[in-house]
Amino acid sequence: MKRFLLVSALVLASCGRERARPAASTDLLTIGYDREPDTMNRYATHILEDIESCVVEGLVTNDEAMNIVPVLALEVPTTANGGVDLRPDGGMDVTWKLRPGITWHDGVPHTSADVKFTVDAINKGDWKPESVDGFDRISSVDTPDSLTAVVHYREVYAPYRLQFVRGTLPKHLLDGKSIDAATEYNRKPLGTGPYRVVEWKTGEHILLEGVPNYWRGAEYPKIKRLLFKFLPNTTTRINQLKSGEVQMVALVPWDKVRELRGLPAVRLNTVVGNGYEHVTLNQKHFTPFADVVVRRAMAHAIDRDLIVRSLLDNLVKVVDGPIQPLSSAYEKDVTRYEYNPARARALLDSAGWVVAGDGIRSRAGTRLAFTLITQSGFAIRENVSQALQKQFKDVGIEANVRLIDGTSISSIWFKGDFDAMLHWWQQGADPEITLFFAADRMPPAGRNINYFRDDTLTAMLYASDRTADEATRITLLKQVQKRLALFVPELPLYNTSKVDAVPATLRGFTGNPTNAGPFWNVYQWQLTAAK
Amino acid sequence: MSASAYTGVPATRAPLIAGVLLGVLLLGAALAPVLAPYAVDALDLANRRAAPSMRHWFGTDELGRDLLTRVLFGARVSLAIGLVSAMVSAAIGAAVGSIAGYAGPLADDVLMRITDAMLAIPRLPLLMIAAAVLQPSVPVLVLLVGLAGWMETARVVRAEVLSLAARDFVSAARAIGASPARVVLRHVLPGVLPAAAVATTLAVGRGILMESALSFFGVGVQPPTASWGNMLYQAQTTMTSEPWLAIFPGAMIFLTVLACNAVGDAIGAATS
Amino acid sequence: MIRFIVRRLLQSVPLLLVISLLIFALIHAAPGGPLSTYLENPNVRPEDIERLRRAMGLDRPLGVQYLSWLRAFVQGDWGFSYADGRPVLDRLVERIPATLELIGVACVMALLAALPVGIIAAINRRFDRVSSVFAVAGISLPVFWFGLLLQLVFAGALGWLPSSGRTSFDGGDVADRAAHLVLPATVLAAALSAAWSRYLRRAMRDTVARPFMRAARARGLSQRTLLLHHALPNALPTFVTVVLLDISMMASGAVVTESIFAWPGIGSLFTEALGKRDYAVLMAFLMCGSIAVMVLNLVADLAVHALDPRTRDAA
Repeated sequence: MKRFLLVSALVLASCGRERARPAASTDLLTIGYDREPDTMNRYATHILEDIESCVVEGLVTNDEAMNIVPVLALEVPTTANGGVDLRPDGGMDVTWKLRPGITWHDGVPHTSADVKFTVDAINKGDWKPESVDGFDRISSVDTPDSLTAVVHYREVYAPYRLQFVRGTLPKHLLDGKSIDAATEYNRKPLGTGPYRVVEWKTGEHILLEGVPNYWRGAEYPKIKRLLFKFLPNTTTRINQLKSGEVQMVALVPWDKVRELRGLPAVRLNTVVGNGYEHVTLNQKHFTPFADVVVRRAMAHAIDRDLIVRSLLDNLVKVVDGPIQPLSSAYEKDVTRYEYNPARARALLDSAGWVVAGDGIRSRAGTRLAFTLITQSGFAIRENVSQALQKQFKDVGIEANVRLIDGTSISSIWFKGDFDAMLHWWQQGADPEITLFFAADRMPPAGRNINYFRDDTLTAMLYASDRTADEATRITLLKQVQKRLALFVPELPLYNTSKVDAVPATLRGFTGNPTNAGPFWNVYQWQLTAAK
Repeated sequence: MSASAYTGVPATRAPLIAGVLLGVLLLGAALAPVLAPYAVDALDLANRRAAPSMRHWFGTDELGRDLLTRVLFGARVSLAIGLVSAMVSAAIGAAVGSIAGYAGPLADDVLMRITDAMLAIPRLPLLMIAAAVLQPSVPVLVLLVGLAGWMETARVVRAEVLSLAARDFVSAARAIGASPARVVLRHVLPGVLPAAAVATTLAVGRGILMESALSFFGVGVQPPTASWGNMLYQAQTTMTSEPWLAIFPGAMIFLTVLACNAVGDAIGAATS
Repeated sequence: MIRFIVRRLLQSVPLLLVISLLIFALIHAAPGGPLSTYLENPNVRPEDIERLRRAMGLDRPLGVQYLSWLRAFVQGDWGFSYADGRPVLDRLVERIPATLELIGVACVMALLAALPVGIIAAINRRFDRVSSVFAVAGISLPVFWFGLLLQLVFAGALGWLPSSGRTSFDGGDVADRAAHLVLPATVLAAALSAAWSRYLRRAMRDTVARPFMRAARARGLSQRTLLLHHALPNALPTFVTVVLLDISMMASGAVVTESIFAWPGIGSLFTEALGKRDYAVLMAFLMCGSIAVMVLNLVADLAVHALDPRTRDAA
């Protein structure tokens, strides 16, 4: 009898979906956010900085086309505009010109002293910044005047443009204090951005309020208040969006997008992402992966188009390498492995892998059978891994799917203790991939968890890192991509496009492919009255 | 049980219906490879989320797999977790309970305080951590759920043993010089059985529910292995668009636990 | 009485020690650690991980970590959260009121349902049958399933109630808070009221079967009078025990409910802390949970003592 109740409830529920909700205020945007930040300090947090970036601005940010655009800086320093100087000793000086007239929310001017303080505070190492990447190559910062900061690097550091994407720390507030213990700053950071934190109710929400005299003009920000509700459970988050209790959800999981189509109050905004889903093949742990013929056969065995068409509802695009189409360094013309199981079988035959009685190939007593790990609780991955399992089986390769929770899986791959893994890398806007493919970047020294060793490639990668000339760098990185596709150390699947569900009445929203996140231009957003 | 209220079947028949239902479920689980219309891992990406039809009685899931097949194979896992973990609980609980009740105040004190301690640690959180440590496979989950559930049985058994031990026939047995082990096995345990049986039947249902709760946090049985709990978990966001994905496994859990509880109640009523 | 309490408290010390050792070992045995979440970010390099590991004291041997935790814990210093660096005590304290509110309301709801249902079921056979159907159904539903269903119907389709959260951010008056409480409290109360009403009914019936009740019946008292004036007072002590024990275990039952309804209590704090392997918060949560159950256990024993007519008459 409960079953009937259940059925009728479901019927009721589906009828009610069409019901109109009362129009929301144009002064308040309620966002369903998938987690509570650990800290609002951009340098200490280890998750996306969506909420933080509304308050604390960087010297630069990434726009919707992945260009690096100035925010608190007047311009992005380059060799062309004289902002970057290569020293004869192999070092590099970068001169940041700060935008004049900008004050912290407490009225104190934002100056080059704040830039210097930030570098010194991070390099002092007496607290827990998440990453000191780049900062540890800075020897010192000079401040010839209050709006000029000259950053001296010990060596050429190509990704310098994003060095201060996380902004600066206010010297007048934090100087002489322990930053870890600066609870007040870490909970309600002082920034220069369009919003400030007015309330952080633990476990419930963070409320941001527009500042009165934002430097871009008094008309900004257009939305007076932003409310971030913490809803870690995906179903709950989606249900709140459906019921209108929240108006926006960033990064909707692809398998949930279908549920939201046809909701009149919601617009789905899709941007190409700057990450890619792929199967890492750990050659050290499962030696047959060390044979390029096996890897090529595996690439031919998988029907990426079918997976994208069916399991991913065409929300993503098949890609062939780690650098994504939006990047200026992207190379389109690389070796492509089309779905061709016959070719896969022929390759495996040629390499001496013979089909045994159970339908799985083996060679010299080694079965072509491995464990494919992926993150549990991630419905798309659970499904894609099982589709891959079936496609591998069709050519005589056995993949045993094992799901591992998100926390455990990172420590497993970090130790290289797996055969193959379905996962993604989400990259910054800079196309540096040395960390993932250089031969000397295997764990623990890096993220080369394919354990792929290619000296030519490694040399090309390092050369690309150690040039400050953009064109040279791009040429090198394009060669890198061709070589990667040729030797296929991992199996690229598809680009991780980002789908954001926003109110249909929201204007000015663009989304963002990078980790800068969709809130990068939040000051421009505007809610219009519902039609 | 639900039948009695609405169809006028006398309530006394409810345990019978429940028993038959459990029997059918067990049989279906045992014969899953024979009964299932499709291979358990047969994907059909062209036919995803198909509604129930003559070809697929229960419809198909996200990967185009036949849901009836999944429910049948899921029954093996879910029922195994329920039944075996309940037996593990019953065995430990009966042993601890009878020793505590019969072996004197010191043993009683020590064992009951340990039981209290085990009861004291929040159970679901403990299981979630343990499952994360051991990586949840079916045998691991059976063992974990069993190890986490013996305390109630131990308490019930102890109480029964204490009251039985005071009865005349036990004192008589002791008086004629029967060994303590003999007294417990011959005279006390049989008297304890009904209570233990009730606790065990209830534990079957609890075990199945526990697995579904663990699945909710992603530490239950891991796909591609099907369990009713993880099927329900996967169906949670499509409850409105593809209700069959949630209704069938949900109904199976509900009916099984219902049947177990009804049988447990009946045993309890018959023996009290 | 005092001696009994003191003895129980003394007994609980070694038990808590064993529990703490057990859960410490268990949470540290889980793969990953507080730094795992950092690994997802490609900008965080292995050097950074090493640096953070040292900064957090995670490079010390486990035994040393346990002893330093224990020493601090008994002195009331529960350490700092690995995730946000704030004192663990603060993080727990700010969450406890929400959980107490939820559990408290759920218990009251469950008792209000269970007491009359249990008593009437003990007296009236017809009612007994109907109520038992609902009772058994109530304890047979997977909690998360029931919760999501309520959300879909009452928040989604009908739009009568908020689907989750504790307050609207600009609301917070009594009506708003009550509206937020209805669904999660109902989910928690459903299983409890079912179990409790069944328990009360059975306890009353059992009492009626006892010899002194047979004697009372022989004196010509009606079944109804017997049940209400004799069986009920006799059944109450054990009923209270069951209720108190169940309440003490709700902290863990609330984990699922709090997660579904985004309830900002300690249950959702636990889920979050487990995902981040926030050892300090996990230890504090489990220890608090264990201590709470032990205390309620003791209270239950004392309550039985106070309520039991036999011991009361003797006093």
